[in-house]
Amino acid sequence: MSLALAESGLSAGRQRLKRVLVLGLGNPILSDDAVGLRVAAEVQRQVSDSADVEVIESSEMGLTLLDLVTGFESLVVVDAVQTGLAAPGFVHQWDESDLKALPPVSPHFLGLGEALALGRLLGLAVPTRVQLFAIEVADPFTLGNSLTPALDRCLPAVVEQVLLLVGSGLGSKG
Amino acid sequence: MNPDSQKVWNEANQRANDAAQAQRRRVTVDPITRLEGHGKIDIFLDNQGDVEKAYLQIPELRGFEVFCIGRPAEEMPQITSRICGVCPTAHHMAATKALDDLYQVQPPPTARKIRELVYNAFMLEDHALHVYILGGPDFIVGPDAPKEERNVVGVIQKVGLEVGKKVIGMRRQLRELIAYFGGKVIHPVMGLPGGVSKGLKAEDLPRFKQVAKDGLEFALFTLQVFHDIVLKNPRYVELITSDAYTHRTYYMGQVDEQNQVNFYDGQIRVVDPDGREYARFPAQKYRDFVAEHVEPWSYVKFCYLKPLGWQGFQEGPQSSVYSVAPLARLNVTESMPTPQARQAYQEFYSTLGAKPVHHTLANHWARVVEMICAAERMVELVNDPDITGTDLRCLPTKKPSVGIGAVEAPRGTLFHHFETDARGLIERANLIVATQNNAARIAMSVEKAAKGLIKKGQVTEGLLNMVEMAFRAYDPCFGCATHTLPGHLPLAVSIYDQNHELLKELVQS
Repeated sequence: MSLALAESGLSAGRQRLKRVLVLGLGNPILSDDAVGLRVAAEVQRQVSDSADVEVIESSEMGLTLLDLVTGFESLVVVDAVQTGLAAPGFVHQWDESDLKALPPVSPHFLGLGEALALGRLLGLAVPTRVQLFAIEVADPFTLGNSLTPALDRCLPAVVEQVLLLVGSGLGSKG
Repeated sequence: MNPDSQKVWNEANQRANDAAQAQRRRVTVDPITRLEGHGKIDIFLDNQGDVEKAYLQIPELRGFEVFCIGRPAEEMPQITSRICGVCPTAHHMAATKALDDLYQVQPPPTARKIRELVYNAFMLEDHALHVYILGGPDFIVGPDAPKEERNVVGVIQKVGLEVGKKVIGMRRQLRELIAYFGGKVIHPVMGLPGGVSKGLKAEDLPRFKQVAKDGLEFALFTLQVFHDIVLKNPRYVELITSDAYTHRTYYMGQVDEQNQVNFYDGQIRVVDPDGREYARFPAQKYRDFVAEHVEPWSYVKFCYLKPLGWQGFQEGPQSSVYSVAPLARLNVTESMPTPQARQAYQEFYSTLGAKPVHHTLANHWARVVEMICAAERMVELVNDPDITGTDLRCLPTKKPSVGIGAVEAPRGTLFHHFETDARGLIERANLIVATQNNAARIAMSVEKAAKGLIKKGQVTEGLLNMVEMAFRAYDPCFGCATHTLPGHLPLAVSIYDQNHELLKELVQS
């Protein structure tokens, strides 16, 4: 391993105490954009004594996500999405291959899929299993602390789905 | 009026207002903005099949002022830094400076220098991200490379894994420096009216000296990469200077007493399309110089120079359109404030011709020059004896009323404006972000690119690429709800005939 890589603290051998990361993404003050954070907070409440699952809420994006996910075996991302193809509150379940199908070049950002691909290219220990819960949202553009009603209603079901996936021994060896 | 009648009256009024608002939106916006999509471009053809008008739609952040009203002004550096995950430090700093102004208090020298150190670290980090990761596909990989290579993986393959690791490692060091003072990079809690919340301990200084030194080395290395890959390729230079990416407009940026660019503080300077000084004013006077024009087809407000009046999307001597961002900053500065950046700046102008340079794609190069400037300024600051001082705050004692602050965000001039009651609770709040300042010029760039690539109804292959390159050089923010998955913005272009019927839809995939 190169010196630069070791110094960066993102060494391939970076160890985490827990195997699974549930990563809630979003902006806490942009209405529905916060839905991933709300789900993560509830998941955290329910798995707080788990030796296997760590929960992080983050408003970061792109390259910074690499710092958060490196070292975990499995990654479960919960985030907001606007495809316009489903009703608000609908949960799209994607894996990493779906991310790769998304546009490769962004005018401004590095997507999660690209961040993971970059991490692999650089030999970082990025999670081998990636699951995404992308929740269709109604309004991620208005500043506010609350979700729209459809999103509020979907919260318990999404939390249950995430817990079910995490509880199924996601990413367990063999 | 009794309370019940008052309530009914208010509700009825509200309904009427909402209905009027809905009607207005439908009439003025449809059918162009059928979808409020990210980075959506609509191109309208005339009856010859040539481009009549091309529009870039940018979703607007809503409800900012409503959200802020009634909150203590001291919350603004936290709230505004949460708006956007891309430039939290820029919002945090602009809001903090607006609070200084609101309470009429100046930070002591140590606090000011700490702010400046953090701010320059942020500029260096953000510019590096753009040069290598976001803008990289256009120049490092190249505009003609196969689509599947024009992404971050392609960039790393071209520059090499070691360089990729260097970028990641450097970025992390700089973010650690920002987090040392701000607690978190994404939501810093550093800025207070009249100072900062944390100082630099003498025992930690060697670490920061090392970061600054590494930062400068990295910035100079980046200039070398830019030389080797971009400037040695005559085709790239030809592309940068081509007419398709050139607009003769005004430029705006913040400068110090010597008219040299300063990212953190100074006066706002504007030069005309011939490079002559048009205006120089403190941020507090921004409303005398900046006005916003609204078009029926977009939510975006297009900034223009108020004394000149709105002259349309026009360039040249008649224009009132101005631009911000790295190229604009180089155009308004008389020289760079630090020696190695000055050398890079002189090379920039001797290669691209006389000042001002009007080539939009030169923003990428200007960004590299600014990386050197930010790093050199960091080195100066960590070697300044004041930096480890302990006098971090001047306590505000005056009654608040109006506070306005500006910084140079990586993407250009950013204004924050708050008005409060005597208790310091927000009554009015306004932001003018870099992308708004640039909106008119971005619209012109998109239209010019479209006009060059669509003739007699024939759409040239590579339209998406070329149009995208036209606006990516500005590194625009498409609203601030940019977090939403997929984490990046699929570009879609819709082409309509003279009857506004959809002819073709191109989606980048």
